[in-house]
Order: sequence, then structure tokens, then C-alpha cells
Amino acid sequence: MTRMKRPGPLLTLLAGLLLGVFLLSLNATTGTRNASSAQEEPPATAVSPGATAGPTESAPASPAAPSTASASPSRSAAADADYAGRTDDDSSAVAVSLRDDRAIAYFCDGRDKESWLKGDVEDDGTMKLTGKNGAELDGTLQDGRRIRGTVDLGGHRYGFTADKAVKPSGLYRATATVRGAKIDGGWIVLPGGRQVGVLDRDGRPSTAPRIDPETGAVTVDGRTITAKPVTP
Amino acid sequence: MTVDPNAATQGFPSPGPVHRRSHPARYLVPALVAAAVAVGLGAYGKAHDPAGTAFNIAGFSSTGAVKSWLATTAFFFALVQVVSAFMVYGRLPGPRWAPALHRWSGRIAFLVAVPVAVHCLYALGYQTYESRVLWHSLLGCFFFGAFSAKMLLLRSERLPGWLLPIIGGLVFAVLTAIWLTSALWFFRTFGVTT
Repeated sequence: MTRMKRPGPLLTLLAGLLLGVFLLSLNATTGTRNASSAQEEPPATAVSPGATAGPTESAPASPAAPSTASASPSRSAAADADYAGRTDDDSSAVAVSLRDDRAIAYFCDGRDKESWLKGDVEDDGTMKLTGKNGAELDGTLQDGRRIRGTVDLGGHRYGFTADKAVKPSGLYRATATVRGAKIDGGWIVLPGGRQVGVLDRDGRPSTAPRIDPETGAVTVDGRTITAKPVTP
Repeated sequence: MTVDPNAATQGFPSPGPVHRRSHPARYLVPALVAAAVAVGLGAYGKAHDPAGTAFNIAGFSSTGAVKSWLATTAFFFALVQVVSAFMVYGRLPGPRWAPALHRWSGRIAFLVAVPVAVHCLYALGYQTYESRVLWHSLLGCFFFGAFSAKMLLLRSERLPGWLLPIIGGLVFAVLTAIWLTSALWFFRTFGVTT
């Protein structure tokens, strides 16, 4: 068949190039903020292995988010913060991160029990957050200084009190793939520096190694990954 | 086509004795562009610090789901490409608009694949930590190079009859492998979710 010198193919390539550049610039300007509609992997900042493998490289990703985001104009701006504390039976830790009337919470016992929960904060400061397998957190924000409530998980009800946490206390999460295993770790850094964390390897939970609360760096199976502060 | 297919956009010599010598630039330029695109994408993916995250589309549970469905869309149109190509070459009975179908399904497949590639390169980068990921990275870069080559070759006249089917088949095969190592893997691992 005879072929004309047609501009169509060139235009196709050009359109693809423009689309790619447009999306890339969109990402470069907004990409650091996690999309709010992500539900399955909420504020988890996926840390890809390889390019961020070196400990020196992961160090600069310092957890600066919690304090910077508090300049929100929302009426509950004062409440926008991280709250961290322990359950009444002292078995587990609970952390809640509030931003703009939305909340994400993490419950973990530091061994094998954990749950990520999320939901909205009502005008009166109450919240009902839900997680997988029917997990539920009912809490009330008191004077913008602490959250008091209960967590229902695995047939148990845990009462908890979480006080307003100041950096580096708060809630951290890291996801990555290390040696073929999907890693998903959550850490609660309590006021005073104590840490409670659970690390999932391909869905199998275990006690998490300590993170450096200043940089979020943590070594998992020989590889350094970075845990990032969690926001809803 | 919305543009005049006869519009001259480059000063190629008109068909004649010159073309019988098969000017090397006709093959060299597409080959070089293809290599540049493939190597350039790979180098960017390797050098750029993966952001780990990027835009998401409302209604989808994760960017992985968005990408998997976009990739599946691209793969569907790639299947249309194969069928319509057989029609264009008269190997299958087809309507008169088979060439238009071929062109437009190809464009859609390509344009749908671009956001997926952008996300891969921006958020994940060129990775080699397991064979599935290695092949996906490698073939992903190769695909856009091969596609560029095919687009540029389309502008040449009197190509050897076997060349376009070979390149087109190659592009399709590579896209299939890319889809198998990403979207199919995603659906098998996380379930067919949106």
C-alpha cells in the first residue's frame, strides 16, 4: 500500500508528549500531597526501594508535615493535630491525626494487633472512625487538648486517652517492598519518646523496629526506609 | 483524519528513483529516536527520586487500581489494533472504515497509556528488585521507544511490506507483557477492584 506523508502519527506522538509533560508538571506541583480519595492506602507514603535505599538519602525526608499543616483556615483549625496515648489497660497505643474535620487513627499493641481507622469529625468534636474487619473507634475531642474514647477491635473494647502530641510524637507509617515482601509499618511515638509499632510483612504482623523520630528512618530487613507522618 | 493527509510537512524528495535506494535516514531517524526515548525514560526513572505518590482519581481505591484499569483499557484497544490491522491488510473482512478504526484505536491506546507511564516513572521509578518489576521497567521504556519508531516509520513511503507488521506486532507483544506484569498482577494480588 502506498503511504502518504501524513502528519497524523507525528501529531499522535506530540499529543502523548504534551499529555505526559502536563501530567508530570501536575505531579511535580501537587504530587507531594497525598490524594484525599485514597482509601486503601490512606496517608501511607509509599517508599520505593532502590532509589531511596541509602540511609543518607532517606534522611532528608524529615517529618515536617504535622506542624506545617496546622495553618488551616477551618474552624477546627486549633484541633488539627496529632493525638497519642495508651489504652486504659495499658496494653496498646492509640494515635489520632486530625486535619480539617477528618481523622485517621492507628491502634496497635506493638506485637500483632493493629488497625487503621478513618472517618469524619463532627462539629461537636465527636468522631466515629472505622477500619477493616469491623474495627471501630468512638472518640470525643475534649477542649482541643485530648481525645477520649473507645476502640472496638477483635471482640474487645479498649478505652483510651490520647493527649495532644507535639513533634516528634505522633503517628507514622511506611510502606515499601523489601526483598519481594510488601512492608506496611505503623508507629505511634508517644510523648516521652516511647514507640509502639507493628510491621506487616505480606500481611503478617510483628513488632516493628524502632524508627528515628526525627527523620522517620527505619531499617527493615537490612534496608533503610522512611516512615512519614500520617495525615488524613 | 481531521488534517489533510496530503499536506507536506517535510521536504522529503518526491517518490522516484531516489527512494529506490532506500535512504538510510528513513530507518536511522526512527531507530535513533526510539533509542533516545527508551533510554531517556529509563534514565529518568532511574535518576529521579521516586515520589512514592502522585495524583489519584476520585472513586478509585488506589492509584494502583486506577493504573490497572487504564492499562486494561489500553490493552483492549491494542487488541482492536491487531484485528483492525488484519482488516487493513485484507487478511480479515472489514468495513471501509477499518483504517480509521486502526488509527483511532491506536491513538486512544497510546494516550491512555501515557498517564500510567507518567505515574510509573514519577512515583515508582525504574526498579529492578524482582524479575517481574525488572521486566516491566525494561519493557515499559522499550514500548514507548518502539511506538515512537512506528509512528515515525508511518511517515515514510514505500517501506518494505513486512516492516510495519513486524514493528506493530512487536509493540503489541510488548504492551501485552507490560500489562501482564502490572495490571494482571495487580488484579490477581489485590482482586479486581476499582
